[in-house]
Amino acid sequence: MSDLLTQISLSAAVKAAVDQLTLANSKPLTGELEANRIKFFGKKGWFTTAAGAMAQIAPAERKIYGQWLNQVKTELETKLAVLAKTAAEIASAKAEEGWIDWTLPGLQSAVGHLHPVSHAIEQVTRIFEKIGFTRVRYPEVDWDWYAFESLNMPKNHPARDEWETFFVETPVSSKKGKVVLTPHTSNAQVREMERLKGRPSIRMINIARCYRRQQDATHTQMFHQFEGLVVDKGITIQHLKGTLDYFAEQFYGPGTKSRIRPFHFQFTEPSFEVDFSCHICGGTGQVKDTEAENGQRKCRFCKSGWHEVGGAGMVHPNVLKAGGIDPEVYTGFAFGWGVERTYTLKPGLQIDDIRLFYSGELAFLRQF
Amino acid sequence: MNILIPHTWLLEHLETNVTPTELQKLVSLCGPSVERIYDRAGDSVYDIEITTNRVDSMSVRGIAREAAVILHQFGHSAKLKPLKLPALASFKPASIEDELPLPKVTLKTPACHRVLGVVLKDLQRQPTPKLMATRLQQTDQNIHDAAIDITNYITRELGHPCHAFDYDKIMSLGGEIIITEAKPGQKFITLDGAGFTTVGGEIVFQNPAGEIIDLPAIKGTLNTSISATTKNILFWIESLDAKKVRVASMTHAIRTVAAELEEKQADPHLAELVLARGIELFQEFCQAKIGSQVYDAFILPRSPKPIKISLKTIETYLGLTLPITKITQILTQLECRVEVNPNQHSLTVTPPTFRHDLEIPADIVEEIARIYGYQNLPSTLMATAIPVDRPRGLNFDLEFQLQHGLANRGWQELYTYSLVSEALAQKSGWPLSKHLKIANPLTDDKVYLRRSLLPSLQTTAEEMLAGFPAGQTLKVFELANLYPPSNTAEELPAESLQLALVSNQSYREVRGELETLFGQIYRSDLSIKPNAKNPDLAEITLSGQLAHNQNQPAQKLGSLHRLGQNWWGISLTMSELVTAAQTHPVYQPAPKTAALIEDLTFTIPPLTPIGSILTTLKAAHAWISSVTLKNQFQANSTFTLTYRHPDRTLTNEEIAPVRRQIVALVVKKLALKLVGQI
Repeated sequence: MSDLLTQISLSAAVKAAVDQLTLANSKPLTGELEANRIKFFGKKGWFTTAAGAMAQIAPAERKIYGQWLNQVKTELETKLAVLAKTAAEIASAKAEEGWIDWTLPGLQSAVGHLHPVSHAIEQVTRIFEKIGFTRVRYPEVDWDWYAFESLNMPKNHPARDEWETFFVETPVSSKKGKVVLTPHTSNAQVREMERLKGRPSIRMINIARCYRRQQDATHTQMFHQFEGLVVDKGITIQHLKGTLDYFAEQFYGPGTKSRIRPFHFQFTEPSFEVDFSCHICGGTGQVKDTEAENGQRKCRFCKSGWHEVGGAGMVHPNVLKAGGIDPEVYTGFAFGWGVERTYTLKPGLQIDDIRLFYSGELAFLRQF
Repeated sequence: MNILIPHTWLLEHLETNVTPTELQKLVSLCGPSVERIYDRAGDSVYDIEITTNRVDSMSVRGIAREAAVILHQFGHSAKLKPLKLPALASFKPASIEDELPLPKVTLKTPACHRVLGVVLKDLQRQPTPKLMATRLQQTDQNIHDAAIDITNYITRELGHPCHAFDYDKIMSLGGEIIITEAKPGQKFITLDGAGFTTVGGEIVFQNPAGEIIDLPAIKGTLNTSISATTKNILFWIESLDAKKVRVASMTHAIRTVAAELEEKQADPHLAELVLARGIELFQEFCQAKIGSQVYDAFILPRSPKPIKISLKTIETYLGLTLPITKITQILTQLECRVEVNPNQHSLTVTPPTFRHDLEIPADIVEEIARIYGYQNLPSTLMATAIPVDRPRGLNFDLEFQLQHGLANRGWQELYTYSLVSEALAQKSGWPLSKHLKIANPLTDDKVYLRRSLLPSLQTTAEEMLAGFPAGQTLKVFELANLYPPSNTAEELPAESLQLALVSNQSYREVRGELETLFGQIYRSDLSIKPNAKNPDLAEITLSGQLAHNQNQPAQKLGSLHRLGQNWWGISLTMSELVTAAQTHPVYQPAPKTAALIEDLTFTIPPLTPIGSILTTLKAAHAWISSVTLKNQFQANSTFTLTYRHPDRTLTNEEIAPVRRQIVALVVKKLALKLVGQI
């Protein structure tokens, strides 16, 4: 537009002011704010001089001149406003340009969750696979023979009666007896021996649903167990201890110990209760408590430093015989524990009510 | 079974100076588990778990016997104190005048192994002595008076049940105890006033009139029990068939300490000690006089069988060699009789009568190992060969892969009960008669073994959504078995592992999830075939027509269900997935020529399946390499067509006649109407 102004006849003073304005407008302003303001908009300022020339302009050219003046004024005022900002304000403005609110909560992807029992089963599977165990799957609805009789459980054993085990209304097998819902994963023992046609070596892990006629905060009619079975020449109690120690460290973390104590199961002899050391008190049964007289108090999470996990034992000779294995040549060990119980002994998983696992409570399930 | 034992009571049978805490720790390592110690009435009370095979430990004396051996093994001074009681033969009435006739005892069942009784007369009814009352209270037992509480006290102290009848009631009811098995339908009232009817087979005591006068080894009956006016008692001990006692106790839900001991085969040889101790206490605290000779019919004494065990066997189990002297010492302390056989390589061990659990060499190994101390055995992993013979048809890695895949895509895994209610079973699509039924369900909602996972999942999912605003979607899945009944008694139900998914998303979304799942196992040949008879059902198959291999067998994988208005269900058979799953893709080189991609929109007549349009478009010309549905709006659907020539890049001019040909085909064949111009 300023090119057009060259065609407009202006006095020398006004022309000088217009040239200065055009020049100033082509680059950022520098220097002090007040000096600039006086330079452009003071009584003798360039803009005042240029604006005062309007009367000299031919009426036909006043519109163009007026438009030019307005544009220049706006641009100069903007530049003066920039000049008016303090250095801090300039820095702040620059910061705003690239500012991110790092405290904003995230928008999460829509992910689902594995059931806690699946988490536990996968961990158990992986841990035992590493030391050569083969995972198997056998019937959950099985004959009395595999669930009881072949496991050296006498006919009058309480576990075999109708108060503890579910029986299925179905014809009785002439060879293998009634059909039951397996109350433990131990039915896999003789089945695995049969699969291998009585020829060890066996290192088996069986994980399955089990069923018992009981229901309260610590028992559900359906639950899960995992069963280990090792049979070979020269298998001793020491190997069972080694396997338990290995599992304890892998599943619960470094430093966790296992111990075995006498117990009784029909299908193992000797039989053991298996304990793992408490992760809260490190197996001592005592935790620090600055308010207590002696600086310690009893650990509230365990019984005297240890958690009972489940049963184990050396495979009973009658069970080996039932699976076609000569107990004079081979020995073995077995263990069977509740998946839910074993899992909830992990740090932070103290779940008092096992029924939650089968409740469909989203608030519970979404935590896993 | 847990039992409470006060420390001071224990010390009447055990000589030791070991503290309760130390005793708890050491006994738990090698014997019964002392789970807790309570502080009750100034004494430490042990809460001890006794395994079912060790009824010999279910008493103060039994624990003292175990503790003596174990504490000694740890180097502590500990000894079982002798029980000094008179012989039964010494108990006689003081004079002929004092003698009362014993009731006649008639045995009509082989299930009775021993009965022992004596009449005690002229009891002075006294409050329970303070020490006895304290101990009974410490062990969670009720207090009555001395005459009643003595029987409970002795049972806890020595571990064999005993009972006191009102002698005069027995005599007035006929003076005879007929030990027999009940017929069904007989009525009786227990001493606490509760009425019962026999189911048949319970061992009962009857009078000559056929009236039940006791439910032995379980609970006394009102008609013969001690009352406030009782002066003469028949102090009585029986030993019965353990199974029959359990059946009767469980059937009538009468669970007593006596029943729990008797069903675990309490030692009948303990009976004379219990009788002698009882007479002593009745004399001391009730000033009772002996009113009869002791009656003892020992029908089935125990005769423990000797067990021969080689030292090699012990070594095999323990993984180390113990000196024969150590082994002999441990077994002898446990009151076994031990003979070292002449070759010095084996032992013959005869257990005491109270250890009926010791039957085979492995039982003897256990005794040696636990007293030696499991904590003293090293811990080591097996050095034997790793088995490589794995079961066929299982693929646990695939199961984990599918579970993780679904969870990662927003599906929530559930574990629901395999046992379902009648209502849920009926929703499976199978009649109730084709379900396996539980003969003895615990609750009404868990009676049938399910034949479909979908009703359980849908019900649970609907309950889960109940607290959410309308419009919330949910995707749940489960991997679990179905249980179809078998055809014959010699076959088991053919359990079938299923992967089931239920969602209230749209059909397109649910199908998309299914396609993604199959993509995960590198199968792109998914096909959904609607069921001709059921409009809410379709079959999920793999056609076998893969790009790189047209000869794969077609395979039925499962079914897709419309579950009412808002829900969809998918059921896939895991064994079929195992067969179908590929572990890796078949690599396809990138095309050497550029594709030409364009969209065509058609107005589609109602009820026209989109699948048929896709198939027709795809087959319309050899240059069409793919056709996908881009979007739908009202009656219009837009398809994206990709044209590609294997050898050269196609031009717009070349495509034009092909496009016209394709449009003409679908307009004519499927009555579609092109939107726009070509």
